[in-house]
Amino acid sequence: MPKNIFYKIFIIGLLIMQSCDRNVSRDKEGLIIYQEQFLSWVRNFEPLNPASIPRWPTRGGIYEPLYIYNPIKAEWVPWLATSYQWKNNNKKLLFTIRSGVQWSDGTPFNAYDVAYTFNLTKRYPALDTRNSWEYLKSVVAQSDTMLEVSFKRIYVPGFDAIAGTYIVPKHIWSQIDDPLKYSNPEPVGTGPYTEILRFDSQIWELGKNENYWQPDKPHVDKLIFPAFSSNEQVTLALLSGELDWSGAFIPAIERIFVDKDPEHHQYWFPNTGYSTFLHTNTKHPILGDVRVRKAISYAINRPQVVKVGMYNYTEPAHVTSLSGPMAKWHSPDIDKKENWTSFNIEKANALLDDAGYAKNKKNQRLDKDGSILELDIIVVSGWSDWIRSAQVISQNLKNVGIKTKVRTYDFGAWIGRMQTGDFDMSIGWAEKGATPYNFFKGMMFSEYVKPLGEIADLNWHRFGLSEADLLIKSLERTSDQNKIQNIIQNLQHLFIEHAPGIPLFAEPAWGECNTKYFTNFPSQNNPYGPLSNNEQPSFIFTLLNVKKR
Amino acid sequence: MSKSILYLIRRLCFYLIAGFAALTLNFVIPRLMPGDPASIIFARFRGKLKPETIDAMRQSFGLTDEPLLMQYWSYIKGILSGNLGTSIAYFPEPVSEIISSGLFWTIFLAGLSLIIAFSLGTLLGVFIAWNRTGKLDTFLPPVLAFLGAFPYFWLAMLILYIFGFSLNWFPLSHAYGNEVTPGLNLPYIFSVLYHASLPALTMVFVSLGGWLLSMRNTMISTLGADYITFANAKGISSRLIMLRYAARNAILPNLTGFGMALGFVLSGALLTEIIFSYPGQGYLLLQAVKAQDFPLMQGIFMTITFAVLAANWLVDIAILVFDPRTRK
Repeated sequence: MPKNIFYKIFIIGLLIMQSCDRNVSRDKEGLIIYQEQFLSWVRNFEPLNPASIPRWPTRGGIYEPLYIYNPIKAEWVPWLATSYQWKNNNKKLLFTIRSGVQWSDGTPFNAYDVAYTFNLTKRYPALDTRNSWEYLKSVVAQSDTMLEVSFKRIYVPGFDAIAGTYIVPKHIWSQIDDPLKYSNPEPVGTGPYTEILRFDSQIWELGKNENYWQPDKPHVDKLIFPAFSSNEQVTLALLSGELDWSGAFIPAIERIFVDKDPEHHQYWFPNTGYSTFLHTNTKHPILGDVRVRKAISYAINRPQVVKVGMYNYTEPAHVTSLSGPMAKWHSPDIDKKENWTSFNIEKANALLDDAGYAKNKKNQRLDKDGSILELDIIVVSGWSDWIRSAQVISQNLKNVGIKTKVRTYDFGAWIGRMQTGDFDMSIGWAEKGATPYNFFKGMMFSEYVKPLGEIADLNWHRFGLSEADLLIKSLERTSDQNKIQNIIQNLQHLFIEHAPGIPLFAEPAWGECNTKYFTNFPSQNNPYGPLSNNEQPSFIFTLLNVKKR
Repeated sequence: MSKSILYLIRRLCFYLIAGFAALTLNFVIPRLMPGDPASIIFARFRGKLKPETIDAMRQSFGLTDEPLLMQYWSYIKGILSGNLGTSIAYFPEPVSEIISSGLFWTIFLAGLSLIIAFSLGTLLGVFIAWNRTGKLDTFLPPVLAFLGAFPYFWLAMLILYIFGFSLNWFPLSHAYGNEVTPGLNLPYIFSVLYHASLPALTMVFVSLGGWLLSMRNTMISTLGADYITFANAKGISSRLIMLRYAARNAILPNLTGFGMALGFVLSGALLTEIIFSYPGQGYLLLQAVKAQDFPLMQGIFMTITFAVLAANWLVDIAILVFDPRTRK
């Protein structure tokens, strides 16, 4: 998104100078939401194609999956299915499909719609968002309420993809010529909001589904989506009461937003459970040494990074990178393990000395050939929070004698460098998911490691460990909760031992609301779901619970 | 007269060749950029999308490893048949549809302010050059040059702040109000004009000085010419000398400039559109570049290229009308 620094300073300035008593003319019946940054709306409500960018809340609000993951409570909530069961040594997965659900046009919904959706993604691989048919054998409806999923090979984490697939109506999709180019302008779904009341290039409105299966829900009659082109516009609209709910990033939010009306202006940036990383290219001759990686981690003053880089919106990372709702996976021995995300300059220096990088008289570390050791940290230009974080880290590393340069690149160039391994260090994200499986696989799975120069979509830091491979593969074959817990604990121990990446701080989810006209948004005291509307489909919990004041 | 037609045809041929070269560059340049769109869109999800998705996306976008020459061939074929492909950032919307939505607003806003600035600036230039010791002449050029020297975004934000936010006289964003329905009705047309007034004003402000100064300067040197003195001696009315004798000759450089400026109109008054959240071509271009949306980028550049060439051809015709020397 365009982050014009002058514009930001300007807006901050004017907000300080000006109290915001603009005369507000707004529709008080509709919840006004910002989630997508578009200047003019394109009428697209197609939920399946990963390439299509349908209007929010198509995925979750119009079309619903079998189960919805609540990231705040870290649990799967039964949705269009009421229960599931692994059978036949995890080769079969049975879902009981909810009865009494109707499509918004009145047609009854049943397991045949679900089976149809999966077989559609089989016929059109471009719709198979999670490449599920790589491990699926068949998906068959046995009755209106029973669905049987059979596996070609055992792959228990496939549950996430299967349970999360958005179900489309058979009676509509079977009439479409080319589902790949379909933009579904008149959606028929099972979700709480399905009726397009108005669709203009600058504003559109979505009305509630009168046939919704959850009694008395949703409480609000319609949702309104004006087009906003920048976060600054969003901030102004939130302040003036022309916007009720947003997932934008707002700098210095206490001063800019909350202080103007503490009763109604609220925000909640909960920890998502995962961390932002300082990725280290383990194919680099210096960073390939685990002692160096740990030394760098010890040298980083994380509270300072969080304060300067992240407006104190988050907390320093746990050594496993898992915290908040993901802390439930922590190994019981975690406190006995080395905590290299603590700030400890002596240890950092000792590790670097031990690794053979001596200091010269100017307190600079020397490479083994005697030249001054120097590393780059690459960051996406314009992502100011991460750029500031990188600058703090660069200062921190100078204290232990490592010279670093922060270089910023345009997103396309940055991602190109990451994928081909053309970097020393970089601030980036790690894989996420309902369990830490994706995260550990992304960090340590050998099969994801590509040679330098070749494009790797994952594991940019190029670290593989055969012990971890075995654990990850056994994790893919078990549905036993105790075994899963046990394997994930072992993966944590490996992560701590080998430090394949350096977690910096917990990743928050942005969410703000103005409760002048609507109430019952989730918050710290009422954490029924995420306030951020950026996570599909978990925003549904908020959509169903918000009430008119 | 046949000579001038020959001249026009010669120019047209030149523009056709230029257009073809631009089309080829348009094809090559985006492909030299790092990264491929599927990877970039995938990466935008910051780890929320699973790696398996990438293949599904590549299939949808029709990204192929076809040899460049084949891609080039289908690109030219597509353009000739008016098919600019499918946008990646707005998938599955066709590029032509997206461009036409943005194009309308850009042509309306930037075209309007360009015409206002050009005619006002040129007329004022003629006038102050004619009365070149007058009060207006000592006052207007430096003030307008001063305004034009401001960083544009700064001036636009200042105006937005004062008239939009503080005084609340004008809307802060968008091309029309949310309460009106688009169509041929009075509230809508009023709303469109109301929303366009502030951004158009800023664009007129910063560009007025340029037109005025260049017109004034050529006008002054034209006024020194012998035929003006002769016309004066003949006793022709000063109004006629000012407009028909001096201004008609002095306007030629400004006309050429007008053709060039039309190009900038279509590339979108990028900053204006971002600051005022105006849904035009410039904002689209920004989005397209950020998403590595090759088809949309190509479509936008192509409309810009052809519009500039067409505008220049029209200027050629206009010069033919104004300047008899080109007809010989």
